Amino acid sequence: MNASDTSHHRWLWTGIILTGLFVLVPLLLSLAGRSYFYQIANTIMIFALLAASMHLVTGVAGLLQLGHAAFYGIGGYCAALLATHFKLSFVVTIPLAGMMAGLIAFLVAVPTMRLVSIYFAVATLGIGQMLHVITLNWVPVTKGPNGILLFGGMKVFDIDFSKPVPAYYLVAVIVAACIYVIHCLSHSYYGNALRALREDDQCADAMGINTPRLKLESFTVSGFFAGVAGALWAHTAGYISPADFNFNVSILILSMVVLGGLGSLPGSILGAIILIGLPEVLREFKAGDFRNIIIGIVLFGVILFQPRGLIGEVSALDFIRNQFGLGRKAKNDANKTDGKQMRVGWL
Amino acid sequence: MSAFLETLQLGRTFGGLKAVDDVSIAIQQGELVGLIGPNGAGKTTLFNLISGFTAPTSGEVRLKGERIDGLTPHDIAQRGIGRTFQNLRIFPNISVFDNVTVGAIGHENIGLGSILPWQKAKSDRITQKSFEALQAVGLLEEADQLAANISYGKRKYLEIARALAMQPDLLILDEPAAGLNETETQHLASFISRLHQEGRTIILIEHDMRLVMSICQRVIVLASGRKICDGTPDMVQKDTGVLEAYLGVDE
Ligand SMILES: Nc1ncnc2c1ncn2[C@@H]1O[C@H](COP(=O)(O)OP(=O)(O)O)[C@@H](O)[C@H]1O
Ligand SMILES: [Mg+2]
Repeated sequence: MNASDTSHHRWLWTGIILTGLFVLVPLLLSLAGRSYFYQIANTIMIFALLAASMHLVTGVAGLLQLGHAAFYGIGGYCAALLATHFKLSFVVTIPLAGMMAGLIAFLVAVPTMRLVSIYFAVATLGIGQMLHVITLNWVPVTKGPNGILLFGGMKVFDIDFSKPVPAYYLVAVIVAACIYVIHCLSHSYYGNALRALREDDQCADAMGINTPRLKLESFTVSGFFAGVAGALWAHTAGYISPADFNFNVSILILSMVVLGGLGSLPGSILGAIILIGLPEVLREFKAGDFRNIIIGIVLFGVILFQPRGLIGEVSALDFIRNQFGLGRKAKNDANKTDGKQMRVGWL
Repeated sequence: MSAFLETLQLGRTFGGLKAVDDVSIAIQQGELVGLIGPNGAGKTTLFNLISGFTAPTSGEVRLKGERIDGLTPHDIAQRGIGRTFQNLRIFPNISVFDNVTVGAIGHENIGLGSILPWQKAKSDRITQKSFEALQAVGLLEEADQLAANISYGKRKYLEIARALAMQPDLLILDEPAAGLNETETQHLASFISRLHQEGRTIILIEHDMRLVMSICQRVIVLASGRKICDGTPDMVQKDTGVLEAYLGVDE
């Protein structure tokens, strides 16, 4: 809106972030010289993408997603299987994994979009559990709990992407590009339309917003990016197993979004940096088993004293009230429509 | 020529209750029509039927001759009906400006492709329409504030601005003066007549009889779901049926 001022800031921030991501962090990592640190950096970036993709569907569009790890897992397994069974180059598997996850997200969304808030959340929870059970038990394909080992074959133009530095840049470039797209989606009039869904989807519908279509789109796009993150994880870790994609992971991603602040993209990324970085810092200080307790206390404190998260748009408490139909919006709904006619559905 | 908006023997029951019962009304283009009636008369339900929030149990709704009953609210909104709500329904956690953009976004029918560079004309139109709507209601100064942080009176105008940003052919306002004081109500009355003079077609539900009688050329009266009177303010004020309906409830 207020043009020159904000665009000036935007360039400054873009510059700082890109320099940090592509120059400063790699410099620090090479000074530290431990390949383990590269792994942590990759994990942070992958989770930043996961948090950003959940930011779009949960923080902006207001759909409580409790099974995000499912799409992360579909991406991971899809990339691993394409690379090991079909010997596809890892470069090709990344977009394919994203598309597969996006397709499954679309198929999941079609029948569940008509569900109202908390019921939808429970459905996503079910999807997450289902994927976990399938990866555990479909042994001929997924190798069950043993997981899949991806070996070698990450050479393109003589650059071996299984080496720490090229792998870092690979993840950094792809994550930055994906987050840029998510940024464009959430900081635009499209994002405003999604925010209207989060605030009051029925009212948004009365303003001419095609709510079922927008919910479906945002869920699918979010699934796509989670799938890309899964592929990056599979290739950089070199090994995947069902434990990488279980319910705890979904909750971890949700915690990042809530900690950073619902509705804020920088917040979600900050949440990812803190919740992946903090345990590692604590590990360095030999905090051992206290790590998870300290993280729990941080989350608990944020919800109690800072319900909007570090830099969020919506209070997590209001968000949950809306999900459970206790908010102001829900009271209006009860007054003004009969349940049967809640035309927020798809079919 | 058929009317701009008509309802034909429109009815809606809730359980056994006939909230709207066999109501036929016709609105011509450019009219400002008042819809009054005691509490629980079915006014809001009639609006919900017109805007697609509630499906009718009988009858039809026609806009410019085409049936719109059975369509989704967003389809109806895109065909040109903009509304406000009796209980304010603004989007509290986003800015005043962003609230208004939602109306314009609905009008442009924005989708995933809209972030592409060659779709910029659409966003420019949304920006322009939103500022125009904010200007029309006098909320430009508050554009950057969070909607939850502006006063109740201003939120009422915000809701109207959001509906105006939809560029509706027909504007339906559900008790816009509720909760406003005397001077605010007067201000609103002159604002609504100005919208009407600019050529807009408006249906106004209102409790404040003086407001309706002073600015509407035609008044429709509902009581217990039925239309009991439809005519000029003078006619309505002299109608014995209307007096009875109002006295019957007030006692
Ligand atoms: N969703 C609903 N479920 C059941 N009854 C309803 C519903 N909506 C409205 N009603 C009933 O329909 C009648 C008309 O209500 P309403 O249209 O809100 O009246 P008005 O706006 O004229 O005050 C009331 O008796 C009300 O209780
Ligand atoms: Mg009413």
